[in-house]
Amino acid sequence: MPEQVLHTLGDGFDWRLDHLQWPVTTDVAAGLRGVIAGATRVMWLDPSSGGLAYRGVPIETLAERPDFEAVSHLLITGEADDSPTAGRFRANLRASRTLPGEVTALLRSLGPGTHPTRALRAGVSALGCHELAEGEDLAGERHWRELRIVGQVVGLLTEVIRHRRSVGSAADDPGESLATGVLRALMGADPDPEDVRVLNLLWVLYAAHGVDAPTFASMVVASCLADPYYNIVAGLSALRGTRQGGASQTVMEQLLHRRDPADAERWVRRTLAAGGRIAGFGHPDYRMPDPRVVILRKAGAAMARRKNRGDLYEIARVTETAATRELAARDVHVNINFYGGLLFHLLGAEPELAPCLIAVARMAGLVALVHESLDTIRLYRPLSRYVGPPQRSLPGEAG
Amino acid sequence: MIGRSPVCPVQRYGSGLDGLVVGDTTISLIDGLSSRLLYRGYSVEDLVEHVTFEEVSHLVLFGELPDRSALEEWKGELIRWREPPQAAFDALHRVPFAAHPLAKYRTTLTVAACHVGDLDGAPSGIERRTPARILSWTAALAAAAIRHAEREAPLSPDPRLGFAGNFLYQALGRRPEADEERAFDASLIVQAEHGLHAAALAALIVSSTGADLGSAVLAGMGALSGVRHGAANQLAFEMLGKLEDADHARRWAREALARGHRFPGFGHRVYKCPDPRVRALEPWARRLLAAHGMDERWHTYLALREEVEAALGPRGIHANVDSITGLLYHPLGLPPGAFPIPFCLAIQTGWMAHCLEYAPDGPMISPGVVYVG
Repeated sequence: MPEQVLHTLGDGFDWRLDHLQWPVTTDVAAGLRGVIAGATRVMWLDPSSGGLAYRGVPIETLAERPDFEAVSHLLITGEADDSPTAGRFRANLRASRTLPGEVTALLRSLGPGTHPTRALRAGVSALGCHELAEGEDLAGERHWRELRIVGQVVGLLTEVIRHRRSVGSAADDPGESLATGVLRALMGADPDPEDVRVLNLLWVLYAAHGVDAPTFASMVVASCLADPYYNIVAGLSALRGTRQGGASQTVMEQLLHRRDPADAERWVRRTLAAGGRIAGFGHPDYRMPDPRVVILRKAGAAMARRKNRGDLYEIARVTETAATRELAARDVHVNINFYGGLLFHLLGAEPELAPCLIAVARMAGLVALVHESLDTIRLYRPLSRYVGPPQRSLPGEAG
Repeated sequence: MIGRSPVCPVQRYGSGLDGLVVGDTTISLIDGLSSRLLYRGYSVEDLVEHVTFEEVSHLVLFGELPDRSALEEWKGELIRWREPPQAAFDALHRVPFAAHPLAKYRTTLTVAACHVGDLDGAPSGIERRTPARILSWTAALAAAAIRHAEREAPLSPDPRLGFAGNFLYQALGRRPEADEERAFDASLIVQAEHGLHAAALAALIVSSTGADLGSAVLAGMGALSGVRHGAANQLAFEMLGKLEDADHARRWAREALARGHRFPGFGHRVYKCPDPRVRALEPWARRLLAAHGMDERWHTYLALREEVEAALGPRGIHANVDSITGLLYHPLGLPPGAFPIPFCLAIQTGWMAHCLEYAPDGPMISPGVVYVG
């Protein structure tokens, strides 16, 4: 039977297959675009139609009554929120926020101005030292460990936030949701239910997005059978990147520098004319508006009204319109980090914290995809073609 | 890797991206059919004979062997970064002693990274200073982690010693003999670069997001820490440790071959022929083992390699570099748990070179995944 060529970069390819049989023949472009890195049951992403679904449930449905803890459970276990494991999972997720005293001390030993993505990564690394002793067999128990990680990252982040705010450590209330705990640390007060809903919405939308760079870095590390905390350190390292989660920080830094909508418009024109970049635009997968943006733009407008920051929303909207006018022809569209960054800011996060808030969400999808891949994963080892100098002798040697 | 599309826009490949040619590189040629490993055109055997790791790291990172003044400058840069922030050393005391040495080492690096100014991140950090800092900080922190496992305090660097000698001094607490230093240096040279192996790929993915080189190296180390990757030299050495002598090795190998055993340190995804790195290091291993009265272990190794290669060589399975490095590190006095560390210290040179080569044009790496739910 002749082997089928999968035109993964063609418009008609929607990434759903009955099964995946290696080897495959596909399109391959720069940045491994078009390459099939694996098969998953966790999520479906079709960049050409803008479709995104977790375990078969479209994100639009999950966004209606957003519950990040339920979505973590769904992504990681494949079970809906009414399944018998859901309650225990939620309790465990919340309880795993509690950190060993030594880890808290390590975080507190860092300068409060340390970039929070770096502090968070150091915390994850230290926590891994507490979770795993030398010689422990990783294979047996890793399932449960991977599940704990989402809650642990939240615990670390709240501690990082409190340290930045010069507030002492506090135990998280096990009855309180992850979002409530993080918002309390951000605002230093009991959050309003609408803020809790919007943080859940952001986390649900950010939770999984195919094998993006952080997830792929994590999968490659996992394919070597490293300890799971190394996978997370790798994922967080990629999330830091200015083209990745780090862009959410740049978005806010850019918007907060604009005096008013007219200034924003001038700045966009000037920046693009000079070949510069507007953060929050462009995505390697989408050559059409990101469907998550539609949801977040609306949430951003409502939140800005509620917080009396209509001025900031206007600046964002004008920036989006002006940049879209210039960039749409080049197939560069606004991405999730644009309104994501704005919303995190309206929820009390300074720009540097936005990538860490994304990291929380992304942990759920990342551990789900990595965990799923462990059964079948093979060491990732592609090739490159050598185009360097031909074989040569050392200088000073004969021949 | 150069950040452009691969020459072939439609390709057939297996699980783990087996056989996929993701792009072009000018850094190294790994010729898995005729036993060649070239860095920028020079064979590793030649490099091991004639130059030091400092020169090789310059070659791999920047494309050419340094002339005299460039070498002095590069060495000076490496020496300048030999003292990481104190907080990174302190982190060793903030994690449980029983944690895995590579997890402790990772923690020291993540804490050190908290003390790098953000200006040092991409793209302004993509210059000589950053790779030098990473090479020297990691060496100092790795040595401290090894000392910490023996419950010893870190030692100050010795500016008279080169990269290899100073690492051994800081890790072992004694100044190495000339032969020991040369042997260790040789192991760093042959492991300084090896194409897009899993760890290099992990580093490249991270760097493609615009993250700093230090973040890329952390991801690479994660991959390397896995038992399928960097920890293989420890496993290969432990296998050898269970064998009393050459006769025992032959008997056990035949029996193990008969039941289809997979030998750590044998076989390679790319090399289907003898690994040139093994050839380059064997004379050093033999000499070091002899100098430390460990000839028996050399013969045990050789017997095992001959048996396994006689049986599996025709199927393309030969001893790889992981089977031999332990035979250098053991007589030097490094504990088996620390064997992956020199591999980390050397190979990160290649990861950084790939990141630097990719940075100017390379888009963010993000493959697809098919949904089968």
